[in-house]
Amino acid sequence: MSKRIVIDPVTRIEGHAKISIFMDDAGNVTDAEFHVVEFRGFEKFCEGRPYSEMPGITQRICGICPVSHTLASAKAGDAIMAVSIPPAADKLRRLMNLGQIIQSHALSFFHLSAPDFLLGWETPPAQRNVFGLINSNVGLARAGIRLRQFGQEIIEILGSKKIHPVWAVPGGVRSNLSAEGRAKIQAWLPEAYATTKLALDLFKKTLETHQREIQIFGNFPSLFMGLVAPDGSWEHHGGKLRFTDSSGSVIADQVDPADYQKYIGESVQNSSYLKSPYYLPLGFPAGIYRVGPLARLNVCERMGVPQADVELAKFKKLGRGAVTSSFLYHYARLIEILASLEFVERYMADPELSSDDLRADAGINSLQGVGASEAPRGTLFHDYTVDRNGLLQKVNLIVATGQNNLAMNQTVAQIARHYVRGSDIPEAMLNRVEHGIRCYDPCLSCSTHAVGQMPLHVQIIAPDGTVLNEMARG
Amino acid sequence: MNFEFPVPIDADLLVIGYGNSLRRDDGVGVRVAEAIETLNLPGVRTLECQLLSPEYADPIARARRVIFVDAAVDRIDGVYLRKLEPGDNSQLMAHAADPRTMLALARDVFGRTPEAWWLTIPAIHLGFGMDYSPEAEAGFHDAVAKIRHMAAGEGVQDTKYCKAVGNLGAVDQAILA
Repeated sequence: MSKRIVIDPVTRIEGHAKISIFMDDAGNVTDAEFHVVEFRGFEKFCEGRPYSEMPGITQRICGICPVSHTLASAKAGDAIMAVSIPPAADKLRRLMNLGQIIQSHALSFFHLSAPDFLLGWETPPAQRNVFGLINSNVGLARAGIRLRQFGQEIIEILGSKKIHPVWAVPGGVRSNLSAEGRAKIQAWLPEAYATTKLALDLFKKTLETHQREIQIFGNFPSLFMGLVAPDGSWEHHGGKLRFTDSSGSVIADQVDPADYQKYIGESVQNSSYLKSPYYLPLGFPAGIYRVGPLARLNVCERMGVPQADVELAKFKKLGRGAVTSSFLYHYARLIEILASLEFVERYMADPELSSDDLRADAGINSLQGVGASEAPRGTLFHDYTVDRNGLLQKVNLIVATGQNNLAMNQTVAQIARHYVRGSDIPEAMLNRVEHGIRCYDPCLSCSTHAVGQMPLHVQIIAPDGTVLNEMARG
Repeated sequence: MNFEFPVPIDADLLVIGYGNSLRRDDGVGVRVAEAIETLNLPGVRTLECQLLSPEYADPIARARRVIFVDAAVDRIDGVYLRKLEPGDNSQLMAHAADPRTMLALARDVFGRTPEAWWLTIPAIHLGFGMDYSPEAEAGFHDAVAKIRHMAAGEGVQDTKYCKAVGNLGAVDQAILA
């Protein structure tokens, strides 16, 4: 009799989701699905709004990564106006995106994921969290919070407003970097570097003791996608798309994000509200690809800044061709934080960020506009179709978590195959399966702030609906 | 950047309004914080956010008193002020945390936890939009008045205030007693 294990909900991710693990008659795991059980409908209800409002509206999609949405949206607006924004505006948008990458990666590493691998998989869930980390190493926990605070500070300094700054707009940005803001960022940089290096050292030690996790936490061949600069170096807010395979070979390069529909198909599963994009030329599901820090480091040839380039060289030695283990998303995040700090430092010496030439102005010159930017979790697309008055007729958003959906399913199945036998539900398996999902740091939604307690509920269910085994915590 | 531990106090009262300003009544806490900010009350700082996230533990630890202003669906018959203590077993389960978790983070990571309250305003309509239900609108004015009252140094045990905040339940009466 085949069985199904359900983990509902998954904890320490953003939003609400559950996991089903399917088993055959012999008690072996055959497949797994990551379900998103909430519906947002953002694409639909934006129809009819002026495109110029979209940077303000879409940043409400997510309370954690509003910057990613507002920047991708502003870029889509640039395309509708068919303008090249002033160089200072481009640099300022990039600076804000770097702040976003720093703050988001810091939260993911220090507070959502590190408790698992620093405190140990067998530590009870009540202690395997940020407070357990505080008890174990309060200095590390504080440094992690301060690093996230630094990223948030950059965003606030530029946006001037604490929440939902309408700063990035079609055609550019509204304000430059003040002298006071520049001084504040510069003063904080040494502490941010020190924390990042501390975390890198810590994670390298973790690698030595987590070889098994590297082997089974989402270690499988797939494609990888991310933005790269014209010279193949790391990009986060410009450049073109590059796809590579697991051998590290480039299979599509310098693809204009506006042409994404020629390369990306969007599949829909009955069991989830999350779309499952795939690489169109290979079809579904063979066209599985990953995005985000792991993918960005796989597709780029260099980071473009010295300290992160040294780390990238070490990172690339962990794979034969591409680095294929999703456990190494954590390592990639830290390298991206380091690169972001180096780019921020570079910008602090750039007088152009004080320029007042910040906006290009134009009317509607194109009825479609695509904006792509690297959000912390991966490439984000905003595709708008407007009428002659600039009112939205159609909106398509492709977010990072959706693009990693197929990979998350495979990751869960791979981990479960190693830990599940028969109808037993070992706690160690639950911890690891959840962590397999956390490697991707999925952000399912943040439109309402009330998260509340999220107990873990696992059931093994027979095809006739009989609950064969059940486990709950929290 | 020099970092002092425990962090020094730099505000008498911190008002944190949180919620989604595109989800009608859910955004009323943010609106309250914005209104307080415009008053420029001495010793009062404000913070508006969509979610409570760990970095806010730092400014919380730096305040002598904190008020978390939120929309609530569990008590819709008036504005309520509930005393908060740091959570003992709270977890940062997602990218966001609740006020008690924030107080615990402030205590454990930054060395101080302030006196804190949770000021809740009725949330009736949570659909998409930027307007407010009559209950949330009335609650907004009540909440601003109360925060002004507290910022002026008047205690929360004020009998008139207790009446003004609505029909307190037995638990809340006990907390405020």
